[in-house]
Amino acid sequence: MPRREHLLKIGVSGVRGVVGEFLTPALACAFAQAFGTYVGVGRVVVGRDTRSSGPMLQHAVACGLLASGCEVVDVGILPTPTIQMFAGSSRAQGGMAITASHNPPEYNALKLFNSRGLFLNQYEREELIDLYHQSEFRNATNSEIRRATSDFETPTRQHIARVLKHVDVERIRGRRFRVAIDCVNGAGSVMTPAFLRDELNCEVHAISIDPKQPFPREAEPRPETLGDLSALMGASGSSVGFAQDPDGDRLAVADETGRVLDNDDVLALAVDAALRRVKGDVVVNLTTSSAIDEIAARHGRAVHRTPVGEANVVETMQAVNAAIGGEGANGGIIFPAVHLCRDSYTGMAFLLDRMAETGESMSALAAGLPRYSRKLGKVAYEHGRLASLMQALETHFPDARMDRLDGLKIMLPQGWIHVRSSNTEPILRLATEARSETEAEELFAGVLKLFEEC
Amino acid sequence: MTRNATKSLRISHVGLRGVVGPGLTAGRVIDFASAFGTFLDAPGPVLIGRDPRASGVMIREGVAAGLMACGRDVIDLGIVSTPVIQHTIRRLGAAGGVSIGASHNNADWNALKFLGAAGVYLSTAEAGELLDIYHLRKFDFADWRGIGGMRTEIDTIDPYLDELAAVFDIAAIRSFCIVVDCCNGTSSHILQRMNRRFGTNFILINAKTEGVEFAHGPATTRATVGLQLAPLMVPLGADAGFLFDVDSDRVALAADDGTAVSEELVLPLIADYLLPRQEGKLVITNLSTTALLEEVAARHGGRVLRVPVGRQAAMDALASYRPEQIALAGEGTGAVMMPQFRFIYDGIASMLAILSMMKERGSTLSEILKSYPRFSILKGELPLLSRQIPALLAAIRERYRDGEVNATDGLRVDWPGRWFHVRVSQTEPIVRIICEQRGDPPRELYNELVEQCLAANTY
Repeated sequence: MPRREHLLKIGVSGVRGVVGEFLTPALACAFAQAFGTYVGVGRVVVGRDTRSSGPMLQHAVACGLLASGCEVVDVGILPTPTIQMFAGSSRAQGGMAITASHNPPEYNALKLFNSRGLFLNQYEREELIDLYHQSEFRNATNSEIRRATSDFETPTRQHIARVLKHVDVERIRGRRFRVAIDCVNGAGSVMTPAFLRDELNCEVHAISIDPKQPFPREAEPRPETLGDLSALMGASGSSVGFAQDPDGDRLAVADETGRVLDNDDVLALAVDAALRRVKGDVVVNLTTSSAIDEIAARHGRAVHRTPVGEANVVETMQAVNAAIGGEGANGGIIFPAVHLCRDSYTGMAFLLDRMAETGESMSALAAGLPRYSRKLGKVAYEHGRLASLMQALETHFPDARMDRLDGLKIMLPQGWIHVRSSNTEPILRLATEARSETEAEELFAGVLKLFEEC
Repeated sequence: MTRNATKSLRISHVGLRGVVGPGLTAGRVIDFASAFGTFLDAPGPVLIGRDPRASGVMIREGVAAGLMACGRDVIDLGIVSTPVIQHTIRRLGAAGGVSIGASHNNADWNALKFLGAAGVYLSTAEAGELLDIYHLRKFDFADWRGIGGMRTEIDTIDPYLDELAAVFDIAAIRSFCIVVDCCNGTSSHILQRMNRRFGTNFILINAKTEGVEFAHGPATTRATVGLQLAPLMVPLGADAGFLFDVDSDRVALAADDGTAVSEELVLPLIADYLLPRQEGKLVITNLSTTALLEEVAARHGGRVLRVPVGRQAAMDALASYRPEQIALAGEGTGAVMMPQFRFIYDGIASMLAILSMMKERGSTLSEILKSYPRFSILKGELPLLSRQIPALLAAIRERYRDGEVNATDGLRVDWPGRWFHVRVSQTEPIVRIICEQRGDPPRELYNELVEQCLAANTY
């Protein structure tokens, strides 16, 4: 009998699922009512990305929040970091972004923020899930029901102002960079061209900036999915290209030759830029490149490693008062001086600022990074297979240093191996890194072979 | 808060009703809207309108989400009366509509009424199907490509007034000074527009639409008219006074001499005006409505058909006759519908009919009312356990064997010039007693019935 597919996940990362059969309006409404009950009477900021299910889910969420006695502030279509910042600065009890981030268009999800505009921490999330399961929501009476309002101006203005405080705006403006962008018709479709053109005086060449159209490419911005941006780079003669995911928190970058940079290299450039301005340590997940360690060492800073997941990185960043953090492969740059969240706008501003400062091209900046090669892959997950793979790896590398914080990471003289289960999909993620491409491939092939045998 | 707020929820053929929070919850709203989205067959958008209650926005969000998830585009009409929603459904060729509002209930209540393709209420069979879908909770949700959107439509009142003006000569009533108690409801917007557009002279009180606290209970009864409206009539020299419930489908009235008129008289008044000019001669009403109706109908060759209490019984009775056979339909609560407006309860249309009659006859409202024989009605209610009801009804039937019996809805017994009706409420666990007599109130009969009900109340 084929395995039944359950395309819904209610867990510590919130609610995520395929809309219609799995993620229903009743479920979104109940979850929002649980959230409203959890954060308490007050304002809750709600925004969304451009998915076709967004308006429906936003009405369901507003219904649940109003029923719990919260005031709902609709901020419309906005990048997730913009919604988070506004939730944190508008005396709100919490915030919600309706977005499945980099997942395909049939998915949607609810991202939940506390009164500081941060993702709920692990303990808050567990409390909320318990409350949702108990189904004992606050049911406001007519006289307790608050208003539904909207603010489509302040969040964008506030976000841009915060980012621009950390770069030399006049220096960037003076260069009048030619920039190509691909917003995947997502939440950044309006804000990104305006940010680059009006604030940073760039000559903008844009594709996929119509929020009414579906995603024209795979939602996750990776080198393999950005052929159109590379083509636009060539046609427009742009100095740099930026691509976002549908909710505008992740960033991918192309250099002037049209080559899409490895996302770990983008983070490395951002870490370098940040450490030139701010003092503090660096926090990245276990799968992020060792290049970060070298760059941090250049600045005399330590690197802290966490399990994969933005919430994990952010929690550790808070604990160590980090200067910058992020997740390499995911294209996530987290700069707390702007806000403790993944923010593609901070990334764009940092890179343009470095180009303006050094006068170097994007390819030259990337070439200056420590050289590492990575190989990432995924295999269909079967329960129990991860554990046997971990045992096999440990037997195979008896003398290596192990880290079991998130799956298993093995540190070897030539590089490292990381195997873990995905937080959002029923798959196993494999990653290897080494000084050379051949070595990285060899490590990866070795892991696959062990997996097949165990 | 209303007593028994947690037990206030009522899900039935007429929709969903309850005290918001303890009774009517967001989850139930979403499920019911999803059921309606699944139920609807006709193509086209679905309209949503609401009365000004604060909970209306929460409910609108839930209704919109449920309908959009079923692939329906939704058009939000904002704060509008139920009749305006019904007119707009027809005008825009919509698949149906949802009216959010608890009409004559207090502010802490709310309700959802479901309307079909022509703007009419669902038939009993349709409403039963909707309930089955709701209880089954298996909804036809669209996939991500087919999910609906929402837009707003603001211009709804003028097209509605166009339809009213095609039936009534609104300009002709400009000479009247009319005081209206809007109960902080939707009639306020309509009448302000009517004043601007037709130069009518409606003086509005409680005209600010209000979400949390109404100036007074919005029930269209003589008692409510007596609170603020009736005392204003003589001082303002008004020709007539009208009071609307929050969603403007019911009306009550005050006469020029300052009398708060019984709500029972609205239907006979309109019948008196419309019967001579209608092709049909049938007047459909319920078993609890005044017997004056039969006398007025007889003057114009009309005939009264009495059906069980409730909108659903009226709708089913209407459906079983050809439209041209029917003159009008309504009940003793001030809710009246006319074939000219495709049988929807419409308080504004009812008011225009009464004003047109005054104009045509050149008589004051008090003169017209004095032309009717005097009937006195007594109404009361007692709590009762459901299991005691059959025995009680049997006992009453046994005691009043000499009268003419109608047992289609509880028990009604008629004698010449006198009748009573004992029935179980559809909305609360109570028994209602209604007695009427030509001339003085039937106090003795009423007291006997109360005693009989109390005697049955043994545990």
